[in-house]
Order: sequence, then structure tokens, then C-alpha cells
Amino acid sequence: MSIQEQYRSRAKELLREGTVKMVIGYGAGTTPLRRRPIFITSPDDADRLVLDAACRTNLAGYLLREGLLADQKSVAVFLTPDGVRTINILAAESQLATEQVIVLGFQIDGENARQLEGTRVADFSGIIAERKKKRKEQPSHEVARKLEQMTSVERFSFWEGEFSRCIKCYACRAACPMCWCRRCVVDNNQPQWVNTSSHTLGNLEWNLVRAFHLAGRCVECGNCSEACPVNIPLHLLNRRMTEEVLTAFDYYPGADEHQEPVLASFRKDDPETFIL
Amino acid sequence: MAKIGVFVCHCGENIAAKVDCTKLVAAMESHPGVAIAHEYKYFCSEPGQESIKKAVTGHGLTGVIVAACSPRMHEATFRTACAEAGLNPYLCEIANIREQCSWVHSDGEQATRKAIEITRSLVEKVKRNNELQPIEVPVTRRALVIGGGIAGIQAALDIANAGGDVVLVEREASLGGHMAQLSETFPTLDCSQCIMTPRMVEAARHPKIRLLTYSEIEKVEGFIGNFNVTVRQKARYVDMNLCTGCGECIIKCPAKKISGEFDCGLANRTAIYTPFAQAVPNKPVIDSGHCIYFKNGKCKACQRVCPTGAINFDMEDELVELEIGAIVVATGFQVQNTALYGEYGYGRYPDVLTGLQFERLASASGPTGGKIQRPSDGKEPETIVFIQCAGSRDPSKGIPYCSKICCMYTAKHAMLYHHKNHDGNSRIFYMDIRAAGKGYDEFTRRAIEEDGAGYVRGRVSKLWQENGKLMVRGADTLLGRPVEVAADMVVLATAMVPQSDSKELGKTLGIGYDEYGFFNEAHLKLRPVETATAGIFLAGACQSPKDIPDSVAQASACASKVLALFSREKLEREPVIAQNNEATCSGCWGCVLACPYNAIEKKDLTDRAGNLIRRVASVNAGLCQGCGTCVTFCRSNSIDLAGFTEKQIFAEVMGL
Ligand SMILES: Cc1cc2nc3c(=O)[nH]c(=O)nc-3n(C[C@H](O)[C@H](O)[C@H](O)COP(=O)(O)OP(=O)(O)OC[C@H]3O[C@@H](n4cnc5c(N)ncnc54)[C@H](O)[C@@H]3O)c2cc1C
Ligand code: SF4
Ligand code: SF4
Ligand code: SF4
Repeated sequence: MSIQEQYRSRAKELLREGTVKMVIGYGAGTTPLRRRPIFITSPDDADRLVLDAACRTNLAGYLLREGLLADQKSVAVFLTPDGVRTINILAAESQLATEQVIVLGFQIDGENARQLEGTRVADFSGIIAERKKKRKEQPSHEVARKLEQMTSVERFSFWEGEFSRCIKCYACRAACPMCWCRRCVVDNNQPQWVNTSSHTLGNLEWNLVRAFHLAGRCVECGNCSEACPVNIPLHLLNRRMTEEVLTAFDYYPGADEHQEPVLASFRKDDPETFIL
Repeated sequence: MAKIGVFVCHCGENIAAKVDCTKLVAAMESHPGVAIAHEYKYFCSEPGQESIKKAVTGHGLTGVIVAACSPRMHEATFRTACAEAGLNPYLCEIANIREQCSWVHSDGEQATRKAIEITRSLVEKVKRNNELQPIEVPVTRRALVIGGGIAGIQAALDIANAGGDVVLVEREASLGGHMAQLSETFPTLDCSQCIMTPRMVEAARHPKIRLLTYSEIEKVEGFIGNFNVTVRQKARYVDMNLCTGCGECIIKCPAKKISGEFDCGLANRTAIYTPFAQAVPNKPVIDSGHCIYFKNGKCKACQRVCPTGAINFDMEDELVELEIGAIVVATGFQVQNTALYGEYGYGRYPDVLTGLQFERLASASGPTGGKIQRPSDGKEPETIVFIQCAGSRDPSKGIPYCSKICCMYTAKHAMLYHHKNHDGNSRIFYMDIRAAGKGYDEFTRRAIEEDGAGYVRGRVSKLWQENGKLMVRGADTLLGRPVEVAADMVVLATAMVPQSDSKELGKTLGIGYDEYGFFNEAHLKLRPVETATAGIFLAGACQSPKDIPDSVAQASACASKVLALFSREKLEREPVIAQNNEATCSGCWGCVLACPYNAIEKKDLTDRAGNLIRRVASVNAGLCQGCGTCVTFCRSNSIDLAGFTEKQIFAEVMGL
């Protein structure tokens, strides 16, 4: 049985048994290389599910749709390890309870989707620990390396150039599973800290505020860059923040559901290198 | 409509010499919302304050800006003046054009421009200020004293004798600290234990003092008048209620070869032990690290011999929760580890000692009963070399400061040696003799003139062993020639350093410390016993090197500060507290975690039928200290700080 068939029948089973009220997965998209999220509530529809190497979107954020989890019933979601980390973060930030989440875990290896064992987020802690180790050793991305080698002035003008294209559509915010605030700071106009019009200063304000708000939270799923209509490599900024937090605090976001948010917690052995 | 009054102070020459105050006044007069702008030589003076009050009532001002020195100096002065004129004090703000402007710039024109910007931004803020009412909080009349050395004991006794409750926490098994280890004390040469033990006993017996020995601070929460402290009482394995202190167990304990801390390694102790004969409380503890039973499960000799059945190997650490109004930190110091000075041979040659070890040798309660003998062979030394500043005043070894007590105790050591061995020969290598204090210079003179202390001005460069002697080579810088002394014993006046874990404690308490780990006072000259954290005070050598008179004086000063606090029914607190917008809060609890005062609670939002809709953050006004940590954390800007609201800060920034 192909992996897609296996997952379809698992989804069917979960819905038929009533273990979950909904399965959030991938369906056919507008082109063979695109997948779109689908929300299955009846076992008969499970055959619309697709699982292949094109399933790249992190679906965890859909769990936070207002009221979805309010009835305490469970929902199954297709998740990569980074998706599982997302659930851990959302749980740590009290946005959902992991008991309500059944994981349909998979991983993309080159051209293929591979099955991952486990049904509860806690079952994936080994895989996540492994990823953290790898992340530490990972050589920098090519563009990231180029950015590292720039002087701070060059880097700033690189980002200024990138952000100047931003049209303030907030697609990155809509796509990011971590952007769940009931009211985003940019929508606060009393006072209007972040300028709404899409000029260089306002754009910088917006994109830097978002990067700060993701420090120690971003799982590097890439939803933001995928969503951006003007192709700003947003993930590179968040990537850098992830590295900072990893080296300074040995903190890998989403390691488990009890992890304290790095910027809100204080430990006596935190490095204080920034205090002069 | 806003009617703001701007009062530009010259501060004598301090501001006016740099900032063109007339120009500043003119700029403010034309700023929208400003009703009047005045300048004056000293607004903090009586007539200065009067003129502000008159302007408030005369012009019906809705806000006041005093452009003057730092708000730390006179914010209270001017706010009180406004309140007396009927204006809510929180409608008065200080524009700091002295510390942040005139004092730090050389170009007058630019300084004036900056002063205008600073003042204008405050005008914009004050237009959006709201009336606030101070918050009243109760005071718990119980003090926590951390550290049971002379400083801690003195502070505890002074507070208790005035009727305050005290909890005295000492981490060792007995009270006493370093003073209990000393032989005789400069400048009067009274026996340290004779003057110390009555204090220890008094503290232990005092009905107002609760003594927690063998205990450490685990957690501190809350704020002035209302701290919640958790103390960990370490397992003693001896039931204090049953033990009579007979000491049978100590005699029977087979683990006898443990280097004794109290005698600085000059004598051994057993695994169950009382630190010293006059210990308070005089009941033993089991050192589980060395106890044979804890190591391999067999022994219990002490348990078998104990007549009252006081020994209990199953005892566990206990956590004691305390409600506390004020905290006195008196955790003292440590003598520096001499490993730093390889050239002085400490640890390699048994007859090279620290000053503290010499105290034990000279002490009647010490391992030799007060005879000065060499640890290596028990012989009385014929020549002793004392080396001062062994560690202190040496930036290359990381201690640029003066330990303050070593000149004095070295003179004392030479004296004690001479009193006990009239033919003894003492040589003291020193940099300077620092003997400032009542009776101190007289004391060192006496050491030189009557007790034969031989001072050599210079440093020791090398020390080695030869034919059973310790050869000391140094320079006599007054005579400009090298000297070599064949000594039988060498005593190093090692530096006084902070407790090795003082920074940890500082973080637990939320008080500052310097680069070495000595705790920081709020102001070195004017507030030497307070810390920057309200309600926490410092006594003794934990703040800086100190001798006994200084430690005791500071401890009594602490007690008076604590008692002043306890004399009040209620404390008035600034109403600068956080408030949450429940409509936009997502209940992530980041603020709950970030708040250092545990002031944020989770609140249920329910519909009319009582069904839970959401949970949101809610600030407990009694606990919030207005630090603003939550405000910076909240990504949705749901939390705001009264007196420093987002709107006010934004206006202030945009006013620049
Ligand atoms: C060799 C030598 C000779 C001296 N001779 C003289 C002299 O002749 N005359 C003179 O005036 N001064 C003398 N002094 C100085 C004197 O010892 C100090 O001034 C005095 O001991 C300072 O008292 P204190 O209470 O501040 O600190 P300490 O005596 O160090 O007491 C601190 C107490 O706090 C406890 N403690 C530490 N950390 C904690 C914690 N985290 N929790 C709970 N408890 C804690 C310690 O166990 C200790 O009992 C001498 C010092 C030395 C080293
Ligand atoms: S998705 Fe791209 S264009 Fe849209 S707001 Fe984000 S960065 Fe700007
Ligand atoms: S940080 Fe902000 S959103 Fe989160 S619980 Fe606190 S107030 Fe609410
Ligand atoms: S301002 Fe916020 S973080 Fe600071 S004490 Fe108040 S509630 Fe806590």
C-alpha cells in the first residue's frame, strides 16, 4: 500500500470511530505541484487526501480557527516534525491542548513522503531532539552565509531593498501559525506604532516587529516566504533569530509542550553578555 | 483644552551655563497647549515652589513640566507642590535637562536645542496624562535577616528588641560567622568568642527571633512590606527537639578524619559534629557527604549510642514559607583562595598559613589551645614572616581593592605572637600601613614600639623551603635592597572576597552586585545601607570589606531602617501599575511568566450562563510594581502601564 493509501485509510478510520471530528490534510491544488489544505469531516471524503512531496505547507495553524477546538473534541492533522514543534509551541502558549490533537506524521525525503511513527505530539520528542542536534551542526544556507559575510551596513541595505517591495498584504501573518494574536500590534491604532502605508519606514517597522515576535518561536516551516506575493525571503530573517536563540540559550523552539517561551522566562544561568 | 505650565530651572549655573533658558522658555511659550512658561534660578527653593503653586491656581493649569535635574532628585518635591496647589501630582512631569543635557554636552547651542526637544516631548506626554491615585499596601512587621555572623545577629537583636519579629537564617549549623573563629580582636584585643557568644545566645533565646540554622533562601517573591520567602531547612538528621547536645554520638562516630572547616583544616572533625564548642544551637548535624552510613549503608553508630533517639536518617529537607516585610542581607565574606599565589607556596608547604588559620592557632579554643605551633611538626616558630596584601590591591590578580582589615589584623597577629613567645621574631612585608579608625594607628604603633613587629616595606617575590626553613625573598624598598628571611612560619594576609555564591543570592533577591560579587548599595554616600530594591538592606562584609565595628554599625543602621518601615500602618505606593485590555488579550500567559512579581493572574471570561468563553490575563494591583516587563513582552500590546501608557510614550517620542 502506498503511503497515501495508508494515510487515507487511517483518516477514514479515525473519522468512522469518532476519535476525531475532523482531519486537516492536503488535497489536490491548482497545479500538480501545488497542494491546498482540506478539512475532512466525513469518512467518505477521506479519499480526497493527498500525500506526496508537494505537501509542504505547515497545517498546524488551522487548529486555531476560532471555536474549532472549543467543544473539546479532537482533530487529526497532517504534520511534519516542524509541524509537531508548532503544536508544542501553541500548547506552551496556551492556545490549544495537545490532548485534542492526533498527529498524522510524515516527512519529505527528496521526492518521497515518508511515514513517521506516533499519534500524539509527545511521541515525536526523539525526532525533535535529533533535529535540534542537526540544526546546531547544520551549515548555513547559501544566501544566509552571504548575508553573514556582509557588514552590518550592507546587510541593512539588503533588507531595506527586500522590504521596500513589501505591499503590506499581511499574507505572511495569515500564513504563519505563530501569528495568532487576537489583535495584531499593527492593527492597533491607539497609538499607531507601526505605520500602515507601504513605504520603506513602515515596511521596515512591520517586518522587523514580526521578526522580533517570532524570535524563539519560529519553527522554520517556510509558510511566510511561500505566502509572500513579492518573494521576500522572510525565512532568512527568522532563521537568523533561531540561530541566535539556539547559541545564546541552547533553546530550540517547540522541543516539548512544556517549554517556557525563551523571551518571557529567566534562568539564573542565562548568559548576560549583553550587559556591559 | 490643555493648559500646561513649563518651569525652566537654571539650577544655579548647572543648567543655565550651557542651556539658553530664555530661548527654551520662548520655544515653549509658542508650543500648542502651553499656557505659561517661566524660568527661575532654583525652582526647588521655597519661593520657586511657591511660584509654581501660584501659577497652577492662577492659570488653572492642567499639567506641569519642570525642566530641571533628574526626576530622581526632585520629582517628589515638585509633585508634592502641585498636589498642594490642588493638581493631581501625576499631572506633573520632570524634563531632565541637567544630567541628560547640560552636564553632558559642551556645545551650548546644541544643548539648548536638545533641551527644547526633551521639554517639548514631555509637554506632549503630560497632555495625555491621567489623574492617578496612590495605592495603599499593608506592611508585614516581620524582618528576615540572612546570615548569622556578627552583622546579622546585631541587626536581628536591634529589630527584635524594638518589638519587631525576626527570622534569622544561617546556612551553617551554628550562628557566629567569621567572628566566632577569631582569637582576639583589634583594636582592643578582647577575646572574640567572649564578646560574641553572649550575642549568639541572646539571639537564639530571644522570644522575637526565630532562628533557622542550616538553612538557605530558596525563593523570594513580592515587594517591600510584603515579601513571600521560601527557606530550605537542610536535613540535619538530628531531631532538634529530642537532642540534648550531650555529644555521645560525636565520640562514637568512626568517620574521624574529615578536615574541619571551623579550624580551617588545622584539625579534623567527625561526620556527626557541632562546628565548635560554643556553637548555637549546640546540637550536632550529620554531614551526609562524609557519613559512612550514607556512603555504604552500614554504621549508625551514632543512632545506637544516642540516649534520646534523636538521630533520624530519613529526615528530609524542609521548605518553610515566610511572610516578610523587610530583608537584611548579612551574608559576610570569604577569605580568598590562595591558589592564586603559587609563588607563596600555600598548600605546598604546611607552614604557610592564611591569616584566618593563624587566628585558629592563636585562639584558646583552637586546635593547639592557643599555642602558636607549626602544623608540620608542632614546634614553636622562632621567626614568622607575615605577608600583607596577599591578593588585595593587585589588579593583575583581579582584586584591585583594599581588603581594609589586613593591616590591622597582621599587626594584631604580630602582637599576639610576641605576647605568647617573647623571643619570637616577626617580619611583616607591607605596601602601606592603613590604620584609619578609632584607636587603630595607636594599635599599629604599639605593635611596632612595644611588641617588636618588624615592618619591611616591600613585596615578596619568592618563597621556598631549605633545611627545614621557609626562605622568603623580597625587596626592602625603603632601603632599596633585597632581603631574605629564613622563617619557620609564613602567614598570608589573604584578600577578603565575597561569598562564592553571592551573585546567585543577589539574583534570587533581585539586588545588584559589583564585578566581584559584593552587593550594591543604593547610593554609596547617601544611602549606604539600602539596596536599589525597596525593603532590602545590607549589613556587614557582604557589601564591601569591613571590620567588626563597621559591620555592627551598619547592622544597627539597617535595623533603624527596618524599624522605620515597621512604624507605618500602610505604605503608599506609586499607582504606576499595569492594566490589561481583556478584549485583545489572547491568554498566552507570556506576561504571567515574565512578571517578576507574580502579579498577573488568569481570569475566566464567562457568558451570562456562566460558561467559560476565554481566559485572559488580569493584573493584581496590590502585587504589580509597575516595572513594565509585561508591557514589553505582550506582542499584541494588550497590557499598558498607568502613568506610562503607550499613548503617552508615543506622544513623547513623536514630540522629539
Ligand atoms: C583573619 C581575620 C582576622 C580578623 N580580625 C578582626 C579583628 O581583630 N577585629 C575586627 O574588627 N575584625 C576582624 N576581622 C573582620 C571580621 O571577621 C569581619 O568584620 C566580620 O566577621 C564581618 O561580619 P559579617 O557578619 O558581615 O560576616 P561573616 O562573619 O562572614 O558572617 C556571615 C554569615 O552569613 C552566613 N551566610 C553566608 N551566606 C549565606 C546564605 N546565602 N544564607 C544564609 N547564611 C549565609 C555565613 O555562614 C556566616 O555565618 C578579621 C577577619 C579575618 C579574615
Ligand atoms: S507577505 Fe510579503 S508583502 Fe505581504 S506583508 Fe508579508 S512581507 Fe509584506
Ligand atoms: S502577554 Fe498579552 S496576550 Fe499574552 S496573556 Fe499577557 S496580556 Fe494576554
Ligand atoms: S508591570 Fe507587568 S510585569 Fe511588571 S510587575 Fe506589573 S504586572 Fe508584573
